Amino acid sequence: MKLSSKRMLGAAAVVTAGSLVLTGCAGFGGGGEEGGDQALTFTTWGSEAEEASFTELIDQFEAEHDGAEVKLNVVPYDQMFSNIDAQLSSGDAPDLFRVDYGNLGVYSSQGQLLDLSPYFDNAEVDEFVPAMWEAVSYEGVPYGVPHQTDVSAVLVNTAMVEQAGIDPSTLPQTQEDAWTWQEFADVAEQLRASLPADKYPFVYNWQLGGAPRWLSWLFQADGTFLDGSTATIDSAEGEQALDFTKSFFENDWVPPTSSTKGTVYADSLFTEGTAAMAFIGSFLVPDVDYLAEFEWTAIPMPRDVRGATDLGGNALVATKDTDNPDLAAEFLKFMTSADAMSLFCANTNELPTRLDLEGDAVQFVIRPDVMPVFVDQAATIEPSDVKQLTSPAMAAVNTALQDQLEAAFIGGQSTADTLSNLSAAIEEAAQ
Amino acid sequence: MTTLTARGRGHATASSRPRAARRTARLRESLVGWGFAAPNLVLMTLFLFIPIVWALILSLQETKGFGDPEWVGVDNYAKLVGDPVFWQSLANTIVFTIATVPIELAGGLGLAVLLNSVLPARGVFRTIIVLPMVISGVASGMIAVILFYESNGLLNKVLTAIGLGPVAWQSQGVPAMISVVIAAIWLRIGFNMIIYLAGLQNISPELYEAARIDGASRWQQFRSVTVPLVGPSTFFLLIMNVIASFQVFDLIFVMTGGGPGNATSVLVTYAYRNGFQIREQGYGAAIGIVILVITLAFTFIQWKTSRTRDLAE
Amino acid sequence: MAQTTAMLEIAEADLLGPRQAARLRRRRRNRSGDRRGIILRTLIAVVVAAVVVFPLYWMLVVAFSPRGEVFEPGLRLWPSTFTLENFVKVFDRVPVVDWFGNSVVIGVFVTAFTVVVNLLAGYAFARLRFAGRNGIFLLALSTMMIPVQAIMVAQFKLVTGLGIYGTYWGVILPAAAAAFGIFLARQFFISIPDEIIEAARIDGAGHLRIFMQVVLPLCKPLIAVLTLLTLMGSWNDFAWPLIALKDNDLFTLPIGLLYLKNQTSPDYNAIMALALISVLPMVLLFLFFQRYFVQGFARSGIK
Repeated sequence: MKLSSKRMLGAAAVVTAGSLVLTGCAGFGGGGEEGGDQALTFTTWGSEAEEASFTELIDQFEAEHDGAEVKLNVVPYDQMFSNIDAQLSSGDAPDLFRVDYGNLGVYSSQGQLLDLSPYFDNAEVDEFVPAMWEAVSYEGVPYGVPHQTDVSAVLVNTAMVEQAGIDPSTLPQTQEDAWTWQEFADVAEQLRASLPADKYPFVYNWQLGGAPRWLSWLFQADGTFLDGSTATIDSAEGEQALDFTKSFFENDWVPPTSSTKGTVYADSLFTEGTAAMAFIGSFLVPDVDYLAEFEWTAIPMPRDVRGATDLGGNALVATKDTDNPDLAAEFLKFMTSADAMSLFCANTNELPTRLDLEGDAVQFVIRPDVMPVFVDQAATIEPSDVKQLTSPAMAAVNTALQDQLEAAFIGGQSTADTLSNLSAAIEEAAQ
Repeated sequence: MTTLTARGRGHATASSRPRAARRTARLRESLVGWGFAAPNLVLMTLFLFIPIVWALILSLQETKGFGDPEWVGVDNYAKLVGDPVFWQSLANTIVFTIATVPIELAGGLGLAVLLNSVLPARGVFRTIIVLPMVISGVASGMIAVILFYESNGLLNKVLTAIGLGPVAWQSQGVPAMISVVIAAIWLRIGFNMIIYLAGLQNISPELYEAARIDGASRWQQFRSVTVPLVGPSTFFLLIMNVIASFQVFDLIFVMTGGGPGNATSVLVTYAYRNGFQIREQGYGAAIGIVILVITLAFTFIQWKTSRTRDLAE
Repeated sequence: MAQTTAMLEIAEADLLGPRQAARLRRRRRNRSGDRRGIILRTLIAVVVAAVVVFPLYWMLVVAFSPRGEVFEPGLRLWPSTFTLENFVKVFDRVPVVDWFGNSVVIGVFVTAFTVVVNLLAGYAFARLRFAGRNGIFLLALSTMMIPVQAIMVAQFKLVTGLGIYGTYWGVILPAAAAAFGIFLARQFFISIPDEIIEAARIDGAGHLRIFMQVVLPLCKPLIAVLTLLTLMGSWNDFAWPLIALKDNDLFTLPIGLLYLKNQTSPDYNAIMALALISVLPMVLLFLFFQRYFVQGFARSGIK
C-alpha cells in the first residue's frame, strides 16, 4: 500500500482552497470591523422563527437606511454570554446584542452598555409598558429597549385530561376562573390516579436556565426574594412555595427528569405525550403546534394569594463602545416600532412590550386561538416582580436557584436548608 | 516508548579534525538544533507555558470575565476545600475512572484474544470495533442522548419490552453515570484492543505449544501465558485510560451537562462551568490548577514506568 | 468493496508482520478441525460488532426518519419512510457548507503547522546535539497530557489579548502547540540508520539539506500517521473551538451540532443529519488509511 503523497497533498490543497473561497477567508481577519462606517454587528441566539424574523426585519432596516449594513450573528445559547463577556473585555464587542432582562442588569451595572436616554424622548418612552421600560433601566437610565416578553401559561393535552374524567369544557379560560393551588393539586392527583406510571400529570419549564421561573410560585404565594440588597426568600411564603413545588416530585406529578438541571425540556415531554399538561412559554407554541399530534389548548397558570407568571423575553441593547451609536440607537428604535414588533411577535408567538400592541392588536400566525390566555397572563406581572427579576444580582440568583432547587427536588435537601442556602446566595449576589 | 536513550551517539568520535574546528562544528550543530526546535518551542511557550503561569496568577484572583480582577490570594483554594461540589466532582472523576478503566482493559484484551484467533472476516470485525475511535465526542454524545433518552428513547423502549422497565438515565445519578460510562467505553475499547493485539503478537506461539503439551486448558493458557506476557501493554493502557477518563469532557457536556444534580459533574466540566458559564473565572482557574497537578503526577508515573517498559520489550 | 477488503487484509498483515502472518497461516492449516470453536468465536464477534456498530446505525435511522418519529411510543428499528427532509432542513436552516469549510480550513492549517513543526523538533531531539536538549525534551514531554480545561481560562485570556479571539488563528495556533507529534517523530528519526546520515554528511551536506533531501523522503509513513491523527484531532475538537469562536459563520461542525441542540425543542433528526455529515469524512479517511490510523494509535497512545 503506497500512499501517493503528492496526490493526497493535491487533494488537500484543493479542498482547502475551495473552503477558503467558500468561507471568504474572513476567519483569518483580526475580528475587526467589516463593511463600511454604516455597519453594525448584532449577536443573538434564537429559535428558528426568531432567526427568520430577525433576518426579515434587518433586510427592511437596511432597505430603509441607505448604506446601513447589519450583520446578524446567531450563536448557541450555551455560548452566548461568555461570548459577549469576552468581546466586552477585549474591547471588540458587537454593536448590538440581545439579552434577557436578568443578564441585562449585569451589563448595565458595569457600565458596558450605551445610555439610550438621548435617543428616546418622553413621548417615545411612554409608548412602552411601564414595567418593561423599568426592566431595561438601571438607576433610572435606560440601557436597552424591551423587545419582547413572553410568559408561561399551561398547555393541556385534552385527550389525556378527558381520560382522567376531566371535562375539557370546564377548564379555566381567564384569570378570574384560574385554578387555585388546591384545585390544581386536585387535578394533578386525579390525573396521577388515571395515568400509567410512565406518564405524568404535568411538567414545569424550569430547565435550561429557566430556574427563575420557580419564582412565579413564590410570587403567587405573595412572597418576595429580594428587597434592595436584603434576601427575603426565607419566609413563610417561601416555605409554602417550596413545599408545594417539592411535592410535585414527591407525588410523581412531574417526570423525574424535569428538575431544574434536567437536560430534557418541558415542551419535549409534552409533545411526545409523556406529560398531560405543561407550563410553557408562548414562544414555544409554534414548535408544539408542529410536533404535537394531539389536540391541545392553553389555560392560565394556577393562582394562590395572587396570580403571577415569569418574566420571560429579552431586551436589545447597544454597547457603550459602538462606533455608530446613532445608527445603533436607530436600529433599536426600528426593532421596537409598532410595525416591526408586531411582525416579530406575530411570527414568533411572543408578546409585545408596547402599549399600542396590547390586547388583540397582534395577529399571531400560529394558533391565535390560544394566545389570549398568554396575553391575559402577562397582566399578572407586577412592578415589584419586575424590580426583583431585573436586579443585577439576577444572573447569580439564577445559578443559586438551579443548584438549590435541584438539591431540594431530587437531592432530598430539606426546605429549611434550601431556603437558608438560597437566602445566603441571594444576599451575596446582591452585595 | 519515550526514553531518552538516543542512539547514534558515536558518530562524531571518528573525526580527527583539529579541536577548534570540532568546537565550531559543535557550536554550529547546537545552533542548528535550536533552530530546528525553535518553531515548536515558540508555540509551546506562547500557548502552553505562558498560560500555565497565567492560570496560576488567575487562580489567585477574583475575576468576573470583564471589569478589573481583584487580588484575593489563596481564597479560591480555600473555597475549593469547603466546596462540596468540588469534592463531588473529584469523587465523580474517580468513580468514572474506576468504572471505565477495568472494563476497557478486560474488554480490550478479550477482544484482542478473540480477534487474534482464527476467524473468518477478522479484518472486518477489527475495523468495526476500532471505528468509534474516529467519531467525535460531540457526535457520540448526541447519539447517546437519543439512545438513553429517558421517556421515549430506544434503550428504555427495549428494556420495557423485555420486562426490565425503563431506567432513569436522565433523572437519577447512578444510571446517568452508567450511561456516560457506557458511552466512554464504546469510544475507547477499540484503542485497548489495538494495543493488546500488538502485544499478543510479541508472544511466541511456542509458549502456547509448550503449555498445551503440559496439559494446560485454554483458560490456564490464557492466565499463565497471555496475561503475564501482555503486562507491559496493560500498564501502558492503564495509564493512558486513566488519563483519558480523567479528562472526559465532550461526552458529559453533551449528555448530562454534569447533572442530574451534580451526579456526573467531573473536574473538567466543573472547571468549564465556573470559567465560562457562571462568571467565576478565578475559581475556574484554580480548579484548572488542581487538574494540572494531578495530570502532571500521572505523566510522571507514566514516564518513570515507560523506561522500564522499554527495557522489558 | 473489493478495495476495502484488500485494505483490511493489508491492515491485518501490517499489524501482524509477515513472519507472524505466515506462522498464522500454517497454524490455520494445521488446526482446521477446530470447527466448533470457530463458529462460537464468530458468533461472539458478530454480537460484539453488532453492539458496537449499532449506535452508528441508529444515527442513520434518526437522520433519515421523519421529524419526531423516533420518540413516538412503540418500538421501531428503522424509519417508517425514508426521508431526506432532515438534510434539506439542515442545509436550509444553518450554514452547513460554511461550517464544513471552517472545519476543513482549521483542520488543514492545524495539521500543516503541527506536522512541520513537530518534524523539525523531532529531528532536533533525535539527531542533533545541543545544549539543554534533554531538559527541553522533558519539559515538552511533561505537557503532553495536560487537558485544555486545566488552562483554558488563561489560554482564553491570552487569545483575547493577542486579538485573535473569534478568528481561525485563535483555534489553530493553540492546537498547533501540542507536543504529542514530537515523540512520534523523534522515535522515527532515531530509528534511521546512522550510516545514511553519515554518508550525506561526508558528501558535505549541511543539516538542513540532510533533513530535506535525505531524511524527509524516508519518513512518508511518519508524515502520513502524523497528518491523519492531527487532522482527526482537530476535526473532532470541541472544547477549545467552543471557547475560541464567536461568530456563527466561523463555527466548526462540532460547535454547529451544539448550536442545533441548544435550540428550544431541539430537533434531534436534524442533529443526527448534521452529525452524519460531520463524522462521514473521518470514517472515510479511516476506512481508506486504516493502517496508518492503527499504527498511530498504537504508537502515540492518544485518545
